[in-house]
Amino acid sequence: MQLRASLRAVLFGAAFSLAVAPAFADDVLKFGVSAPMSGAAANWGIGCDWVGQKVVRQINDNGGIRAGGKTYKVQLTTYDNLYTAAGGAQSAQAMINRDGVRYIVQSLGTAPVQATQSLSERSGVILLTTAWGKTIKGPKFPLTFTNSNTPYEIFGPLFALVKEQHPNIKTVALLNPNDATGQQAEAQSKLEWGKLGVSVVSSSFYERGTTEFQSIATKLAATKADAVDLGGSAPGDAGSVLKELAVQGWAGVKLYPAGTGSDTLVKVGGKSAEGVYMGQGADFSGPTATKLQRDLDTQAKQALKEPLNILQMGVWDGVMAIKAGIEKADSIDPKAVAKALSSAKPNTSYGPVGYGGTATYGSPQQLLVPVIITQIQNGQTIEVRRVKSPDASGG
Amino acid sequence: MALFVQLALNTLQAGSVYVLFALGLTLIFGVMGVVNFAHGQFFALGALLTSVLVPALHDSLGGSVAIAFVLSSVISIIVVLALAAAAYQFGFRRYLRDMVGSFILSVGMLLFFEGLFLWIFGGVPRVVPNIAPGELRILGAAIELQRLIVCAVAVAIGIMLYLMLGYTRFGRAVRATAEDAGAATLQGVRHKRTLLYGFMVGSFLAAVSGCLTAPLAVITPSVGNDYLIKGFVTIIIGGLGSIPGAIIGGFAIALLESVVGYYLDGTMATIGMFCVVAVLLLFRPRGMLGHVQH
Repeated sequence: MQLRASLRAVLFGAAFSLAVAPAFADDVLKFGVSAPMSGAAANWGIGCDWVGQKVVRQINDNGGIRAGGKTYKVQLTTYDNLYTAAGGAQSAQAMINRDGVRYIVQSLGTAPVQATQSLSERSGVILLTTAWGKTIKGPKFPLTFTNSNTPYEIFGPLFALVKEQHPNIKTVALLNPNDATGQQAEAQSKLEWGKLGVSVVSSSFYERGTTEFQSIATKLAATKADAVDLGGSAPGDAGSVLKELAVQGWAGVKLYPAGTGSDTLVKVGGKSAEGVYMGQGADFSGPTATKLQRDLDTQAKQALKEPLNILQMGVWDGVMAIKAGIEKADSIDPKAVAKALSSAKPNTSYGPVGYGGTATYGSPQQLLVPVIITQIQNGQTIEVRRVKSPDASGG
Repeated sequence: MALFVQLALNTLQAGSVYVLFALGLTLIFGVMGVVNFAHGQFFALGALLTSVLVPALHDSLGGSVAIAFVLSSVISIIVVLALAAAAYQFGFRRYLRDMVGSFILSVGMLLFFEGLFLWIFGGVPRVVPNIAPGELRILGAAIELQRLIVCAVAVAIGIMLYLMLGYTRFGRAVRATAEDAGAATLQGVRHKRTLLYGFMVGSFLAAVSGCLTAPLAVITPSVGNDYLIKGFVTIIIGGLGSIPGAIIGGFAIALLESVVGYYLDGTMATIGMFCVVAVLLLFRPRGMLGHVQH
């Protein structure tokens, strides 16, 4: 008797949920973030979620998003992609097939992004990423966009600036993590250094999660290269390598082109981090950041005990981009929104920025945020040059 | 010459911490018959607490960083031991010599503690100030003074453990329990107490190696994972449950990392490590000096 009553209650509950859910879904747009929420890179995901909830709250407080004569509230959920391809595939299934997300506003990590894309493009879901692969964008993938600069935007101007300031650089040694991110950074580094006539004397990979960097530094120091390019290494790893290089007597030009965490680099590397050139190490607390970025960074330091990096800030830009796309298309259909995005000018954390990158990717799918080249000087991240994308046509 | 000395110094320093970590893992396996996947989390807690306490104590008490480091290490070890005692009392005690049960329990603890530490300490990498500034140059090779000190302390603790297990009543009880728990009990060994103490000594070694690693590496809540993998590789090479095996295995891993990492790269060193494990498992599954059977 009791069992029958329980069953009836469960069935009633399920039927009620099914009846009510679509009614809510009509007025709520579900946004998803695919980021590592556990493991070594969990702080990136936690920061992404924090920024995502902030921007969504602001949009909802300001009345939501208007399209087709209706107003929609936004709901954002972050899914753990474990920073792996398998995790990316799992989180994509959960987002798209289980929860009905139609807009993925940020996806971290090249491997999980590739796994997510295989489902998102088929399912008509917009995918905004920070992934670097040249092959993940272009006319074949009309629903995929990138929110932050990649080596294709950063390395050219960064290396040119370094060569300009240090014309004697003839050789460089590369170090990258052994994953899709590192492999793409390495390939682009070789290409860009080659263009400048600098010879790559050594290129090594290491496993993410490595804690001992003495042997790696020994190898780099033994090359006697004029410069060391730490590619897509994690900030703590880069700091450890630089520290060991200093102990072993190497003193040359130091680059951390794809590094996002200058705070950690300085904290770990100490004096050895002095003079390092960075391509993604924007300092959101500094005078060159916008007021919005400074405010977010200050609040993040209190809430998360760490500053925001470019990838986390990208969630703000992703949400605002989708909002702009929906409003421009006057539709919530992801395909219409994707079409509208190429000519929209979302109000990002950097200010109004459009999509471009046709020359590189074959279609305007790259958000044209500026390339901010910084250098560590007296322990501070100092902006050395701000390069506007040569392809601003998307805007 | 300088290169070989540099590689030897790298091996010695990294190997001494690997050995200490693996000794704890192998001791727990030898005594209790459980593979403790949460061992890396005890290591991580030791390192995390040290990384938080050293700057705090140095700021509040003044004096040298080395003194703050010693005090921080003592506090960290006590906290880790309290956590280990709770883990034993409410968990491992119920799954002695139960490989499946203890596997599920310790993996659960690993995930729980990692999440808990991330929540408490945050994900931002932590750094401990240099406890002994300066470098030493030996035949053209260079090593930080603090690395040499850490190495010396790790070697001293390893020797003390070796002597304790070989020549004290407690050590004999531990070894007897590892060989044959039933026979040891019949000979008057207090079985339950020996198991608890064995687990605590193993956890102590994890905590100490965590504290010693804190000034040398970047500390995050997942710092124990790298050491856990290397710890398992070490004891598989040396032989599960074997103390001399853990020492040989620890230095073998460090040597492989140093030499292959230098001549090829870090990835090849990791692949090489697992190749050695695969070959050993095929031709000598008990490891180089393994003898314990469960």
